[in-house]
Amino acid sequence: MLSLTIAAPLLAMFFYFRRSANTFSSTRWPAIAAAFFSLVCATVTAWVTLTSGQAWSEGLLELDALACVPLVLFAALVLISILAAPKVDQNPRFMASLMAVSAGTLAAYAASDLRLFCVGWALTLIPAFLGPSSEMMGARVIGVVSLGCLLLASFVGLGWPAFVLLATAALLRKGIFPFHFWAPSAFEKGSPVVWSLFLNGHLAALLLARFGLKLFPELSKEALGLISAFALLTAIYAALLAMVEKSTPRLIALLSLSQASFILAGFESRNAEGISGATLHWIVVALATTGMTVAYRLVEARSPKAANPIGFLGLGGRMPRLAAFFLVSALALVGLPGTLGFVAEDLLFHGAIESHPLLGLALPLATALNAITILRLFFRLFLGQPAVSLPQVPDAKPIERLALSACVVALLLGGLFPQVLINMRQPAADAVAAMLALASPE
Amino acid sequence: MTDLDLNLLLAAVVVSPACQFLLFSAAWLMGWEPSEKILTRSSGVMFSLSLLAVGYLSVSMIIDGKTQMLVSVGEWFHSGEYKFPLALLADRLSLPLLALTVLLSGLIASFSRRYLHRDRGFFRFFLLLHLFAFGASLVFTAASFDLMLGGWELVGISSVLLIGFFNERKAPVSNALRVFGFYRIADLGLLLGIFFLHHVLGSTATANIFLGVWPNQVSELGFSSATAAGLLFLLAASGKSAQFPFCSWLPRAMEGPTPSSAIFYGAISVHMGAYLLLRAQPILAVSPVAAGATVVVGLVTAFLGTLSHRVSADAKTSLAYASMTQLGLIFVEIGLGFSWLALIHILGHALVRTLQFLRAPSMLHDYHRMHSAAAGHLAKTGKHYDLFVPAGVQLWLYRMGLERGFIDVMIDRFIVGPTIRLAHFLAMFEPKRNSVVAVTAEVREEMVEGIDA
Repeated sequence: MLSLTIAAPLLAMFFYFRRSANTFSSTRWPAIAAAFFSLVCATVTAWVTLTSGQAWSEGLLELDALACVPLVLFAALVLISILAAPKVDQNPRFMASLMAVSAGTLAAYAASDLRLFCVGWALTLIPAFLGPSSEMMGARVIGVVSLGCLLLASFVGLGWPAFVLLATAALLRKGIFPFHFWAPSAFEKGSPVVWSLFLNGHLAALLLARFGLKLFPELSKEALGLISAFALLTAIYAALLAMVEKSTPRLIALLSLSQASFILAGFESRNAEGISGATLHWIVVALATTGMTVAYRLVEARSPKAANPIGFLGLGGRMPRLAAFFLVSALALVGLPGTLGFVAEDLLFHGAIESHPLLGLALPLATALNAITILRLFFRLFLGQPAVSLPQVPDAKPIERLALSACVVALLLGGLFPQVLINMRQPAADAVAAMLALASPE
Repeated sequence: MTDLDLNLLLAAVVVSPACQFLLFSAAWLMGWEPSEKILTRSSGVMFSLSLLAVGYLSVSMIIDGKTQMLVSVGEWFHSGEYKFPLALLADRLSLPLLALTVLLSGLIASFSRRYLHRDRGFFRFFLLLHLFAFGASLVFTAASFDLMLGGWELVGISSVLLIGFFNERKAPVSNALRVFGFYRIADLGLLLGIFFLHHVLGSTATANIFLGVWPNQVSELGFSSATAAGLLFLLAASGKSAQFPFCSWLPRAMEGPTPSSAIFYGAISVHMGAYLLLRAQPILAVSPVAAGATVVVGLVTAFLGTLSHRVSADAKTSLAYASMTQLGLIFVEIGLGFSWLALIHILGHALVRTLQFLRAPSMLHDYHRMHSAAAGHLAKTGKHYDLFVPAGVQLWLYRMGLERGFIDVMIDRFIVGPTIRLAHFLAMFEPKRNSVVAVTAEVREEMVEGIDA
């Protein structure tokens, strides 16, 4: 069952590779079928794993508590992204990229050893190689170097060089300062939906939690403080950059980096609520940034000016529902009460301030800056007098509404009944806490 | 009615606006937009029933001799030792404010039926009014500061979206963004205050951290802890109630429709800061520093508010500064420990100011009628202060009033400016972008307009 979860998108990827790059008609049904099948298999596997309390094993593949919920979540996000893809994105290149990221991420979630994890990691890098080289240079370099680091780490044994290589790969992929530069340009020059999914796999956090903490407990103890300090720096740095960024896809990338770096900072809090908050924040970032990016992409497909708005575009008058989906997803990312974001940040901030007052001060500050940036972006895109030249564009179509509603409803239900999700993520939080306790001097 | 029924009644009053908000939002997202009639009738019925329920609750509590009612639903969520309790509190402080919220929300809904009739944003206005009513009810009845934060932020976001209601013009949108900036920075005070209380006392539930019943509650916090928590709450309260140094946002918020200005900035939203401090009164009582700071903030705001009020050219801005002045005085009363006086002042001020805001659009018409009736202009008033202030000082005060106490200038110069410059400086080190916007004549024109705006 677990292998089918990965095989379906992998097969679909090969199918799209064989199609001509210029084919535009009815190309998404294989992807929808593969993503739906993958989601069903992932749900069954994760359900059995959660209820039995034991890891699901299939040969080299193994699904543990840490990756259980993210597996289902990621499969669902891929399906949402395909369902809500505008016509302009329904081409073999986009679909192959999505399927590659999906197969790679799901494979990495189910990888029991580092080499298989490398295979998944490598698959997710395929989108960087599908476009012109000049456009994706940053992502390619970062991808290849991180993959090289991982491969080397898997061959050099359990000494400190292996840990340094592993941590470097994680920092490169997660876009931790000073390696954050690739993400904004990938979002701008490539498809923001694909790169948002690439980031939302959170493979770097998984790499550190599953392999870093497990294989190198003592070294992790030394390094986690430093890594989380860099994560904190990234949160503030990216938030500041986003404040003056004019390009919408770059801005969304910076917001995603800033908020996603909270996850590592949460692990560093080393207490139950902080780690639990970090595992919930993982879900929030994935759902909220996907909802936000997909809504933005639909808007951009209707009005290309949205990519670099000058003044206020006033698109909300023409696309009020897309505006609403964008706003709710974006505000959930920065902790709108009633959504899962509020719960995750409440836990995360409490945990952080209990262990490191600096963390507890910096994370709310970064969130406040990001919230201001999000509202600025929303206002620039959706409020104002619509340009006379803007044609009569349709609002969200039924299938797009359905896909985006799934994101928003998940965020709202998670916010109203958070204990269900906290309980689901508890084994993951316990696993990280146990590994950190193993690594701590006490 | 049994205690359980009364508990359910209180919970229903708080939750019903949220239910309407969610119901109408979901219907709209799926493609159905309710008519004006359905919206106004359902709001009318809900707010009327809620008002009756609050009245019944109050009378029952008075008859039973109860001073407070705690409705505990259990825990919303917990992890490790951290728990988020879900509990509502109705006492002598929260019930009058809850009644005020329900009464004025219903009144504003009724007023807006005609005021916004056939406006493009009619549905949006009602949605945001319901979200606000839920947020405000939650703030006033939350039994813990954690839960209060949820309502606090909902009020903030609904307030900002209503300021940008007439978004065809640039000014409301720009002002809404600026107000949001002030809110978010000030809200850090509430967030950090809550974390601090958790750190020191392990809880923020008022029943756990204060002994007794409002207004005779006492806190067991030490002087330094009370000072830290009190000052953080004062920061948050100053942001919400437009007190120094956050006082420049209130006139900007007048860009919204008049009914929303009335309920947000005349009545409910601006008084939330004062409510927070009244709720945290036992903390202020322990720390003369925090209480003194509250008095100073209130006095400075009252002085700046009255100066600006006297030189404002338009009715709504003038009313906004008048509100700010009264709120300054309420802060002084809270700082000095006159809790009952502050509560009565809040209720009276909210009612009078709402009336003034709602009458503002027709006020000019009234003036013209009065001038016609008097066969000329009415005699000027307010000259008696001139006798006490030297002419040179008068000029300075006039200038200060015109510049709104120079606060916006200082914030731009010392906070916003350096932050933006730092961000631009950091952006210089980012890799160069490929996507350069083609500067056509049209784009250049828009850019010039943007800079001018």
